[in-house]
Amino acid sequence: MLRFLIRRTIGALIILLILSAVCFFLFFAIPRDPARISCGEKCTPENLELIRRSLGLDDPVPVQYWNFLAGIFSGRSYPTGDCPAPCLGRSFVHDENVLTLIQDRFPTTLSLTIGAAIVFLVFGVGAGMIAAWRRGTALDKFVSGSSLVIGSLQIYFIGPLVLWALVYSTGLFGDPTYNPFTENPWKWAVGLILPWAVLSTIFASNYTRMVRSTMIEQLQEEHVRTAKAKGMSSGTVFFRYAWRGALIPVVTIFGIDLGSLLGGAIITEFTFSLPGLGNLSIASVFRADLPVLMGVLLFSSTMIILMNVIVDAAYAFIDPRIRLS
Amino acid sequence: MTTLTKESEGSAPSAGGAFLSVQDLRVQFTTEDGVVKAVDGLSFDVERGKTLGIVGESGSGKSVTNLTVLGLHNQMFTNVEGSISLDGEELIGAPERKLEKLRGNKMAMIFQDPLTALSPFYTVGRQIAEPYRKHMGVSKRAAHERAVDMLDKVGIPNPKLRANDYPHQFSGGMRQRAMIAMALVCNPDLLIADEPTTALDVTVQAQILDLIRNLQDEFGSAIVFITHDLGVIANVADDILVMYAGRAVERGTTREVLRKPQHPYTWGLLSSMPRLSSDVNVPLTPIKGTPPSLLSPPPGCPFHPRCGFVGDVGGAACRTDRPALPEGRGAACHLSAGQKQDIFIEQIKPRLG
Amino acid sequence: MRIRGARRSHAVVAGLAAGALALSGCSSGSENTDSQQDDKKKAAEQQAQIPFGDAKASTGPAPEVKGAQEGGTIPVMQRDSYAHLDPGQIYVSDEGALARLIHRGLTGYKADFKGKQTLVGDLATDSGKPSDGGRTWTYTLKDNIKWADGTDITSKDVRHTFERQFAEFINDGPVYIQQWLSNEPGTGYRDMLPKGPYGGDHLPDSVLETPDDKTIVFKFKEPKPDLPYALAMPGYSMVSEAKDTQEKYDKDPMTAGPYKIESFKTGKSMTLVKNEHWDPATDSSRNAYPDKYEITFNIQFETSAERLMADKGVNKNSISFTNNVDAATLPKLNKDPDAQKRSVNGYQPYVAQMAINMDRVKNKKVREAIAYALPIQPYQQAFGGPQGMELAGGLISPTVSGYEEGFDPFGKLKKPLGDPAAAKKILEEAGETGYKLTWGYINTPEGQNYSPTMESTLEEAGFDVQRKEISAETYYDEIGVVDNEFDMYVSAWGADWPSASTVVPPLYDGRQIQDGSSNYSHTNDKHINSEIDRIQKIADPAEAAKEWNKLSQYVVEDLISNIPMTYYKQIQLYGSNIGGVQYDDVIGDIDLRKIYLKQ
Repeated sequence: MLRFLIRRTIGALIILLILSAVCFFLFFAIPRDPARISCGEKCTPENLELIRRSLGLDDPVPVQYWNFLAGIFSGRSYPTGDCPAPCLGRSFVHDENVLTLIQDRFPTTLSLTIGAAIVFLVFGVGAGMIAAWRRGTALDKFVSGSSLVIGSLQIYFIGPLVLWALVYSTGLFGDPTYNPFTENPWKWAVGLILPWAVLSTIFASNYTRMVRSTMIEQLQEEHVRTAKAKGMSSGTVFFRYAWRGALIPVVTIFGIDLGSLLGGAIITEFTFSLPGLGNLSIASVFRADLPVLMGVLLFSSTMIILMNVIVDAAYAFIDPRIRLS
Repeated sequence: MTTLTKESEGSAPSAGGAFLSVQDLRVQFTTEDGVVKAVDGLSFDVERGKTLGIVGESGSGKSVTNLTVLGLHNQMFTNVEGSISLDGEELIGAPERKLEKLRGNKMAMIFQDPLTALSPFYTVGRQIAEPYRKHMGVSKRAAHERAVDMLDKVGIPNPKLRANDYPHQFSGGMRQRAMIAMALVCNPDLLIADEPTTALDVTVQAQILDLIRNLQDEFGSAIVFITHDLGVIANVADDILVMYAGRAVERGTTREVLRKPQHPYTWGLLSSMPRLSSDVNVPLTPIKGTPPSLLSPPPGCPFHPRCGFVGDVGGAACRTDRPALPEGRGAACHLSAGQKQDIFIEQIKPRLG
Repeated sequence: MRIRGARRSHAVVAGLAAGALALSGCSSGSENTDSQQDDKKKAAEQQAQIPFGDAKASTGPAPEVKGAQEGGTIPVMQRDSYAHLDPGQIYVSDEGALARLIHRGLTGYKADFKGKQTLVGDLATDSGKPSDGGRTWTYTLKDNIKWADGTDITSKDVRHTFERQFAEFINDGPVYIQQWLSNEPGTGYRDMLPKGPYGGDHLPDSVLETPDDKTIVFKFKEPKPDLPYALAMPGYSMVSEAKDTQEKYDKDPMTAGPYKIESFKTGKSMTLVKNEHWDPATDSSRNAYPDKYEITFNIQFETSAERLMADKGVNKNSISFTNNVDAATLPKLNKDPDAQKRSVNGYQPYVAQMAINMDRVKNKKVREAIAYALPIQPYQQAFGGPQGMELAGGLISPTVSGYEEGFDPFGKLKKPLGDPAAAKKILEEAGETGYKLTWGYINTPEGQNYSPTMESTLEEAGFDVQRKEISAETYYDEIGVVDNEFDMYVSAWGADWPSASTVVPPLYDGRQIQDGSSNYSHTNDKHINSEIDRIQKIADPAEAAKEWNKLSQYVVEDLISNIPMTYYKQIQLYGSNIGGVQYDDVIGDIDLRKIYLKQ
């Protein structure tokens, strides 16, 4: 296991290194000049030069990349303040270290992700299992049908709809906000309940369909039939034998979903005006704030890679064939 | 276990006190394309301590029949009619709870491919112990000990250790032994073996067959042995039932069926089987054509499109009338008893060498 | 001076034309809903010059707002986080609106309850005493003016504020006064004090003199009649010498306004609380009733509009400083009379115009045909119709003195869909039918909306229009290249203060043509150039305003290098518990100084 982890960590670092380099050089390949954007409307060539220099954009791109990498280990110093190691750079737009911005935004994204994940796992997987258990019945048809309908909806459609129906026109809920869990768990939950509901609705329907189909598939597996043939009750067959086999695809997709959500649920955060990583990256794209973009990108890639490692470890836990080979 | 329960008293008494009696079994699947008559009016009996071999090509309904006996068919898409009585108890229409109590306990099944038939997620020991624990109501530890005993009995070396292994850590033969151990863990009175040796190489095959025979001697179980391999069946079965297109086409003792087969389909099966003693210059004669679609089986004798002796019958009987299978020894064929004998002796036997 | 991109396109607002501090003179605040007629009336009022107030007008406290209540917390919804808090770096409207609450300058605007503006002394006792024909300006600081830490604001701080504007790290704010003090155009002013005050050097007394703790004297080579306006820009608010941390000041500035920053989480939130060292008696323009403002960022225009229209729960107490109602939400607002009562509508200082590239389209007849054919209504429609924009006849905005209603030489107001028939005739007479016209248009949702309609009318007139899209982010860079490949393009420009001296010279002075300059039409006309020099020396603002207007009309009518299209407007909403709301045309947003929370 330890060797597995070490191997995966080294692999992850190489991926991150390549990713950051690609991102860095791509950014400078596109015809967009962050200095020009900072420079504003009354930009003069002299001012542009000044800004270039103050942003460190006057160095050749490879040198800038090297400085970026070095900063991760030894920290960097900017005129507007110090950036201690691990320094992911400093925002072009705001006088703030990228890591500080990410640390500031991550709790929102984490809260959104955890809450939504619990909701969509419970309801999505639950509904899928019910549909598979009662396969062919009216209940199954209802669950499968509605999950298909819900799954074809989009956050940017139901988000505003929910806001309109539950907030703006009726006032049943307050505006979605983020309050730190540590300060007031009740306010935390109340402020995020709508984003959770909307985000998890979309995901839940995916899980419902996936769980239903894999469970039905698993129930037709020969070893599941064997379990039945040796007199195991339907419940045991369903939950112990079939479910165990259905876990692998569920865990795989869950890992991917969780990893990408932790990098920022962009549309949800935007729709509900939540100050998470998704909103941070939108703002950085619009302002060509390369350091923040890079930081968020590396952070979300790390999350995805981390979730991948966890998923792989989970495979070994679920399936002894993987564990022992 | 031999006591009849009250509710089964009213059910049709099994002929000749057979332990398993299947009467006029019809199994139909509803599919998108129509109704598939997988089993169509099948009857057979098996007594304790006896082995019935069921042979037939794939799709002939032999596996479906036995899954239906255990109630493992998909009830939602399957329509079952007729009667299956086990030790006098009617199984068709029996509640699921009752079947659960019988499965693995009074009746057990050995599946063809132990790699897919054993769960990859649990240890072999646990999978063997599970039904024992459930049916016998013993502790986890006692069940585990029993599992180790069973592994020992089926010839797994070092069973204590191997009980904690997962199926994928076993070789193919060992897996099948484990499968057998699992089926026999509760000393079932009826054992259904569905092509238990097909996936194994020949030497292992022989060992497994020996094992099944020995266990039968010990426990006196009734065995239904399903195979398409007549060579295997010759070794294990007392009686043989030949199935074609969901129906029994020939029945008799093993000796009768193999020495004096009466049905053209059985002749075909025997002709297409290589033998050690056969002359290499005599080509094998496969049965021409393919098994019929069960969605719309041919009218009359279902075998007639592939049968080379339709002309011998004369008239259109083969195309219009379904031949009946007589009670006891016999074949469902329009050929007269004399014709059957003549044709076999004159045309078929020489080919078999 | 400033240009205006597609205002409601996120990309452009965030990038090039970031919001905008609209320093424009006018005297109309429009409360509640307004009609086209109201606008006209106000527009007429707006031709009046914003007067310079005397010591009396500059003396606090500000007149009480009727029915106003003290205290309370107002939640504020803002889309973009503040990039700058250092006054020297502030130029855009978002930060400009905030600056009015936290920073103070030598001068400022004071609005009466009808929205009529007067330029008064803020920290100074009056709007300034000119001498030497407007070359020397003397300011005296009020008594009891203090920083938020309780220390006095002295003339040393004022000197420091202007000297640090020469340092390299101050590169986002206005440059007028630096240029005037050094008498250098462009960025040449930096040579006067390359390190700002930080290397121990100072501006000589011959330029900036502070004889005592209370007195500041500006000395210019040329008359600078607009100095009081320039000093009122938030970019020239005061910086504390003692607390100046140079680059780091941008994050944590010392403030002097009625509010101070309690906390600021970049991109997330900001809390403003009362500054107990701010003395209302020293401030003639700010009432500052609420105790606290809680600003949340990342609230899109659609979201703040929806929330304020719904007016539920905490949103009854809410406002937005600068979020306006986006074009997409406007129709919804128009169906909601209750929400309309909680809206303010007014001008922003921008004028959209079609700039014709004089280097390429040299035939005046062709330009005249364009002027007749070009439909301007599609442009207005794309930006939300009459509530988002008003059709323009001239190049001087209603918010700038010198605006003349009814100027419309090509009948564009009567035929806002263009007059292709008239244009066709002109083209035929000139023998230029089928003239190939390359039009570079901005690739924003609005640009995609209006350009095809406008193209088809031009085609109808006999032009062979080649539409070429330009990325929104680089739009002004590309049309700013002198040797560009386009025959015409739209630009929008707003005055920094209500004088056309911040409009005509930067846009039409032919001697300023170079890459990146704002003379997008490459207008280089002897008459215009000489008139600019002449009018800039006129000391009487009213007289100058008239002359600027005449010159701008020459551009439209005689040269036909720029075709006026629209004047920008906007609508803002506020919660039902907010009182004292009026629109402020100077800042181009709600006037934050007078609002209060009904409790």
